[in-house]
Amino acid sequence: MRVYVLRRLLGIVPTVLMITFVVFVMMRSVPGDPVVALLGDAYDEQDAIKVRASYGLDQPILVQYAIWLGKLARGDWGVSYMTGRPVLKDVLVRLPVTLELIVLSMAVALAIAVPAAIIGALRQNTWADYTATTIAMIGVSIPEFFIGVLLLLVFSIGLGGLLPSSGWTYLPGTCPTMVCGASLWGNAQHVLLPAIALGVGRAAILTRLLRASMLEVIRTEYVTTARAKGLSERPVVLKHALKNALIPTVTVMGLQVGFLIGGAIVVETLFAMPGLGTFGIDAIIARDYQQVQGFALLTALAFVVMNLVVDLTYTFLDPRIRYA
Amino acid sequence: MPMRSSRLATLILIVVACIVAAPLLAGAQTPKRGGTLRVSYGNEIAHLDFHTAPGYEMMWVAMNVGCGLVNITPDGKFVGDAAELWHTSPDGLLYTFKLRKNVLFHDGTPVDAAAVKFSIDRLMDPATKSGMRSFYDSVHSVEVLDPASVQIRLKQPYAFMLHMLAAYRTGLVLYSPTATQKYTLEDRKQGKPEAVVGCGPFKLVEWVKGGQLVMERFDKYFVPGLPYLDRVVIRVIKDPVTEMAAFKAGEIDFIASFSPDHVETLKAQNPRAQIMTGKETTPMLAAMKVTVPKDGKPMSRDRAPHPVFGDLRVRKAIGCYGIDRKEIVKIAFQGHATPWVGMNPPGTLDTVDVNYLCPYDQAKARALLAEAGYGPGKPLTFELMTNTEKSVFSVIATVIKEQMARVGVTANIRLVDKVSWMNTTLNDGPWDMYVEDLLSLITLDSNAYLSNSTSTWTHPRHNDKRTDELYARYARELDAAKRKAIAREIQEFFVENMYWNNISGSPFYMVAQPWMKGYVYNAEFEVHYDRVWLDK
Repeated sequence: MRVYVLRRLLGIVPTVLMITFVVFVMMRSVPGDPVVALLGDAYDEQDAIKVRASYGLDQPILVQYAIWLGKLARGDWGVSYMTGRPVLKDVLVRLPVTLELIVLSMAVALAIAVPAAIIGALRQNTWADYTATTIAMIGVSIPEFFIGVLLLLVFSIGLGGLLPSSGWTYLPGTCPTMVCGASLWGNAQHVLLPAIALGVGRAAILTRLLRASMLEVIRTEYVTTARAKGLSERPVVLKHALKNALIPTVTVMGLQVGFLIGGAIVVETLFAMPGLGTFGIDAIIARDYQQVQGFALLTALAFVVMNLVVDLTYTFLDPRIRYA
Repeated sequence: MPMRSSRLATLILIVVACIVAAPLLAGAQTPKRGGTLRVSYGNEIAHLDFHTAPGYEMMWVAMNVGCGLVNITPDGKFVGDAAELWHTSPDGLLYTFKLRKNVLFHDGTPVDAAAVKFSIDRLMDPATKSGMRSFYDSVHSVEVLDPASVQIRLKQPYAFMLHMLAAYRTGLVLYSPTATQKYTLEDRKQGKPEAVVGCGPFKLVEWVKGGQLVMERFDKYFVPGLPYLDRVVIRVIKDPVTEMAAFKAGEIDFIASFSPDHVETLKAQNPRAQIMTGKETTPMLAAMKVTVPKDGKPMSRDRAPHPVFGDLRVRKAIGCYGIDRKEIVKIAFQGHATPWVGMNPPGTLDTVDVNYLCPYDQAKARALLAEAGYGPGKPLTFELMTNTEKSVFSVIATVIKEQMARVGVTANIRLVDKVSWMNTTLNDGPWDMYVEDLLSLITLDSNAYLSNSTSTWTHPRHNDKRTDELYARYARELDAAKRKAIAREIQEFFVENMYWNNISGSPFYMVAQPWMKGYVYNAEFEVHYDRVWLDK
């Protein structure tokens, strides 16, 4: 197991390198020059040449990448062209917000998907099943921003400001600002709508997948045996069927992290949250290559680590699975 | 008798009610101290070095953290800021400012003549790379007469010196020499409060990019009793729908720049909201490229006419007669803008209505195109670039495309993001026409750096030296009546040559909650929170 984990951790290195290289090249292929955004009203061709040289932007792309990697190896994630702030510091400030959003949206997704899938599978081809699958289909079809706007209209405007429409309250002890008024209740109020907006689409996908998986599992012989032994339906479903049906679902959950990060960009922008999503989109718009690299590196790391965690979860769900 | 006593009782009741209500009514208009003003910006602040950062969002912070020498009122009068009095020599070459005695920077150092000299010298230093530098071209030197008197000596008269000091971009923002020398440019850009030291009513407490900017009352502000607010908190909400939801829910008090597309919806949702606007000061234009580099090298001085719009007849056919400005305003702005051919929008100083020079006339457009060699046998096609910064740009581009089709011309729309647009236009890249609204203009003079023949920011790259001569004459003329005549000449000249193809004014809106009092609307030029108070 330890060897397996070590091997997987080593495997992260080339994956992340490849991702950061692709992003590095792509960003420099996109029209637009960070120096133009940086100089703004003071733009002057001669100044632009000097500034470009001072940031090493006049070097060949491979040289620029090698310099970036060299700095990264020393723990230096670079400095934002626009603000002069260290990128690592900025992404670490934003990370907890996005992490909380992703974890809670996955929780929302599971809270909807698991009961809906169980009901759908146990009562196949009944009105309950049709309702669950129809809602799942609608959930898959509606983009996050639309759900987000609907939630805003209902909970922030329609119900007299029941929940805040935008902004963020940090969890106690996580506030990166001096003036922030961190509170658990305030945080819960701020994260609820974005987590639902982001989680509903994922819930729909998981419901469909888990339902299909459950249908397969409840027809297997060991479930029939469990029932024949006189076990009540509850442990049969929750202990025997669900646990095994969850394996393919967990795989998809890992892959969904990538979609959640992508969705976080939209949801954070809509709800004006100070997370990694808005950080990434602002960096791309400003062509702040250093910040974009930081964003890409962190999201790539999050994605591969999450998938490793998912793979390790299999051993818990199915003790027959062994990693060597 | 009972009737009479009843009337008497009513009268007494009215009198008593008036006596009781009078102080209450008066009290409602007496500014209250304290509270936090919650402001929403639609765009992120680039950084916080006020002398170099681009964007209005930064400027609106600079105007409150910083102070300058003078400010300008909505009716164009100058009022002292750190300067108490000022005097201009009869030849217009010397501006002497007498400073108030009690003005302090937030670090406790005095705002004296040396500090004024330090700030202006810094702005004029090419190494600072300030967008304001070109506005100081007329300045010869700044001299300290005594600690409370500073004199700006000009190379030639400059009629807009006070306008420039008050409201060209940020206006002059004074920096504490002590803090500026002690901390680095990077410290200021990052918004470290100890590095960003001004002399305005609010001091910077913190700025977390993507989070919030917090300013707090500066207790030693030189105007007694001001500011009324304890704190101003600025958040960025990019999505107008979310911004409206936050406003409706009472989470924000003030939207510093609101999308014109959503004004009607906001009005319907919030009948008591204060929606502030004025005559447009920002031009919405469909610029046409006039020359291209002959040798293919961007920014080359060796120029050739643009293959399409290098021909004045084509520029006039398309830009002057081929565009129905009224239709664009009706569709893109729901009528909330002024169709305007002149380069100076309706709210800008010395504006002149020259709409008569370009009536919408399809026949004339077709005739000019035919004269230039275009027609069914040789159809004209050009690229119409616009960017994603404001949705209205794409709407205007779509209407222009439709209008071009009416005169047998094909306009292919290319939608790019703002940075790509800036990159293409500033670097003399390939483009034919673009739709954009550039920046707000308080005077025609402030438009010189976007339209003379030498500026990098003159995107069409016309190389007509006559524009420079006209602008120079305009800026140096100290007689207001004569200046107005030159302003007309400039605006007619630009239309006649189609170096600047204006569509309309671009409306600007600010929105405040009914309880926000004391704010004086002065478009994008002066955004001050020092007299704002909260009636709640």
